[in-house]
Amino acid sequence: MNPNRSEEILKELERKAKEKEETFFQHIANRLGRPRLHTPPIQPVRGVPSFWRQYHLDFEERISLFMANWENLGGVAKRFGCKEDLVTFIRNEAETMQAKKLIRWQHPVLEQLEIEKTLPKADVTIWKESNREQLLQKAAEADIGIVVADYAIAHTGTVVVLSGATKGRSVSLLPTALMAIIRTEDVKTKMGEVLAVIQKRNGPSMPAGIHFITGPSRSSDIENDLTIGVHGPGIVYALLLDE
Amino acid sequence: MGNLEPNSPLKERISLALNNEFLRNAVKFTTERLRKGKQTATDELGNWEEWRSYGQAIRMHTIAHLDYYLSQFVNNVRAAGGFVHFASTAREAVEIAMKIMEAKQAKSVVKSKSMVSEEVHINQALEEKGIEVVETDLGEYIIQLAGETPSHIIIPAIHKNKKQIAELLSQVAGEPLPADTAILAGFVRSKLREKFLSADIGITGCNFAIAESGSIVLFSNEGNARMVSTLPKTQITMMGMERIIPTWEDLEVMATLLPRAATGQKLTVYMSAITGPKRSEDGDGPEELHIIIIDNGRSNQLGDPEFQEVLNCIRCGACLNACPVYRHVGGHAYGWVYSGPIGAVLTPVLQAEKEKWGEVANASSLCGACYEACPVKIPLHDMLVYLRRRNVEQGTTKKREQWGMKVFQKVASSHKRYRLAIKAGRIGQKFVARKGEIKAKIGPLKKWTAHRTAPALAPRSFREMWQDLQQQQTQIELDPTIQKRMEEMLKKRGDQHESEQK
Repeated sequence: MNPNRSEEILKELERKAKEKEETFFQHIANRLGRPRLHTPPIQPVRGVPSFWRQYHLDFEERISLFMANWENLGGVAKRFGCKEDLVTFIRNEAETMQAKKLIRWQHPVLEQLEIEKTLPKADVTIWKESNREQLLQKAAEADIGIVVADYAIAHTGTVVVLSGATKGRSVSLLPTALMAIIRTEDVKTKMGEVLAVIQKRNGPSMPAGIHFITGPSRSSDIENDLTIGVHGPGIVYALLLDE
Repeated sequence: MGNLEPNSPLKERISLALNNEFLRNAVKFTTERLRKGKQTATDELGNWEEWRSYGQAIRMHTIAHLDYYLSQFVNNVRAAGGFVHFASTAREAVEIAMKIMEAKQAKSVVKSKSMVSEEVHINQALEEKGIEVVETDLGEYIIQLAGETPSHIIIPAIHKNKKQIAELLSQVAGEPLPADTAILAGFVRSKLREKFLSADIGITGCNFAIAESGSIVLFSNEGNARMVSTLPKTQITMMGMERIIPTWEDLEVMATLLPRAATGQKLTVYMSAITGPKRSEDGDGPEELHIIIIDNGRSNQLGDPEFQEVLNCIRCGACLNACPVYRHVGGHAYGWVYSGPIGAVLTPVLQAEKEKWGEVANASSLCGACYEACPVKIPLHDMLVYLRRRNVEQGTTKKREQWGMKVFQKVASSHKRYRLAIKAGRIGQKFVARKGEIKAKIGPLKKWTAHRTAPALAPRSFREMWQDLQQQQTQIELDPTIQKRMEEMLKKRGDQHESEQK
C-alpha cells in the first residue's frame, strides 16, 4: 500500500471521529437527563482524605521505610554516603553477575559516576538521541539497565521515572536487572507529593511516559506460584545516594 | 462474545464447574489468598472505610458529569498529539481498530490485558484478517493457547494446573517442558520478548483516564503493559467510556484502592501514566497513539437510578473473591467475560438481548458480601434484586416459576387456604418423611432434596400450638415486681422501635 492511502485512512478516521464526537457527548448528557455541560463542575471530593494529606515522615524515616518496603518486595536496597562507594558497589555486582552488556541513561549523575571506566571489559550503551531500533536492541540484550530515579515513594516502596530524550523507557524495562539510583532528597512520603511535583514542574505538558516501579516484575498466574522477572527485570536494586 | 448467545444454559455451566474438582479447589484457594491479602493490606493502611467513601464520591461525581470530563480528556489527548475515536457499539470499536490495522499494514499485534477488548472480541476480527494477535499477560497467554476465556478478572488462568500449562507450552516450544513454574515462566518470557520487539501494533486497555491531562494509566505486575506501550510503533488503547477520573489528585485515591482491593499489594509493580505518543526527541514509545472510547451498552446505565453506579466499578475483582457463589463455581459458569457479582450485573445490562443473560442474576445468595468488599461501594446485591424484579416484570422468568409464584401468593395470602395447604402437605409427606427429614428425591421438592435433606412439616403448627400456649400463660400468676419490670421493658422497647422507624 502506498503511504498516501495510509494517510487517507487515518484522515477518514479523524473526520469520522470529529463528526461523531458531539453526538457521543450529547447522548451521555441526554441519558443523564440534563443539557450538555461546558463549564467545569465543582468537585465535592477531590483527591485523598485530609488525614492522609497531613501524613508526613521525617527524612530518615522516609529513607528507612522506603528501603524496608523495597526489600520486602524482593529488591536490594543500599545506601551510600559518597559516589565512590556507589561506583564500587555497581562494579562488584556487575562482575559477580558476569554482566557483559549494560545500558544507562545519559544523566548528569551517571556522567559523574563514569561506570564505563570501572568496567572496561563491558559493553556500555548510553541512551541518547539516536537510532531507535539500535537502542531498543541494545536495551533488550542488556544484562543491567541503570537509571536515575526522578522520585521515590517511601510509603509504597516505589521508584518513579519520567521519560525523555536521554531517559529511555526501555532502560528500566528490558534488561535482566535494573539499578535505580535515588538521591535521598528525592524520596517523598507518599504518592500525592510526587504527583503534585510532577504536575508543577511539567505544567500542562507531561512527559510521554511516567512510570512507577514497585519491586521486581512478578506473576502468580501459574497455580498461584509467585515467579519474578516474567517480562520486566527480575533483579532490582534501589541505590540511595546521600550527596 | 459481542451479542452472541451464551454457549450453554446456566445450569449446565454450573454443573460443569461443580464437577471439576481441580477448578473448585483452585478457585477456593486463589480467592482465599486474594481475600486475605486484601484484608492485610487494608488493615495495614488503616481508615479503609474512609478511603472507600472517597473512592465512591470521586467515581459518582465523574459519572454524573461524564460528558464534561470525557470531552476534557479528549481535548487533552489531542493536544498531546494522540488520536481519539468513538465507538457506540462493539462492532464499531472493531471496525475502527481494523481501519488502523489497514493503515499501518499490520501483520502482528501484541496485547496486554484488557477486559473491554475481550468484550468487543477484537482477537476474532484480527485472526479473520490473518493478523497474528498475542496475549502477553502470562495467564491470558496460557488461556489463549488453550482457546479459552478468562475465569477470573485478576488471575485469568486460575482453572489450569501446572501440568496442563506445561503441555500447552510444550506444543509452542516444540519440545517437552517440565511442569516447573520458573521454567515455564522463563520460556514465556523469551518467547514473548521476540513478539514484543517485532509487533507492528500494541493494544492496551485502560485502568484510568485522567481528564485534566489526557493521560491513560495502566496497572500491571508483569510489565507486559509497559512492553506493549513502549515497543511497537503504533499503540491502540481501548477504553470503556466510564474509565475517567478528573485529576491527578484523584489518581492517588484510585491507586490506593485498586491494588489493595485486587491483590493486597500496596501498589502494583508497574503503574504507567501515558500522555500522548512519544515526543519527537524520545528514543522509544509509540509514534502514534490511538484511543478508542467505547460505549457498548454503558450509556444505558446512565440516568438509571438503579444501575448508574455500576459504572463506578474499577475492575478489581474483590467482589469475586468475596462471593460465596463465585467461590464455588468459578468464572466460566457466568458465561461471559465478566464474572462474579459484578459480572452478574454487568452482563445483562451491557447485552442487548437481556432475556438470554438475565438468569445470571439468579446465581447469587444476595448476602451482600460483594458490597462489603467493593472498594467504591457499589450496591451490587441491590442491583441483583432489581435485575430479578425486571426479569419478572418483563416476563422472562420461566413459565413454571411464574405459575408457582402465583399459586404461592394465592395460598399464602389467605389463612384458610394456607392451613388447608399445610394439612395436605402433612398428609402427603407421610410417604417420604423419616425422622423429621425428607430425603426422597421426588416430586416438587426434588431440586432441593437432590443436594440436601428438607425438614419435614411439624406435626402441629405454631398456630395450632398457640391456642394451648396462650391458655397456659394466662393461668400463670406472675410475681407483681416481675410483671412491672416486663411492662416497662416492653414499653421502652416499643418506643425504641418507633424512633428507629422515624
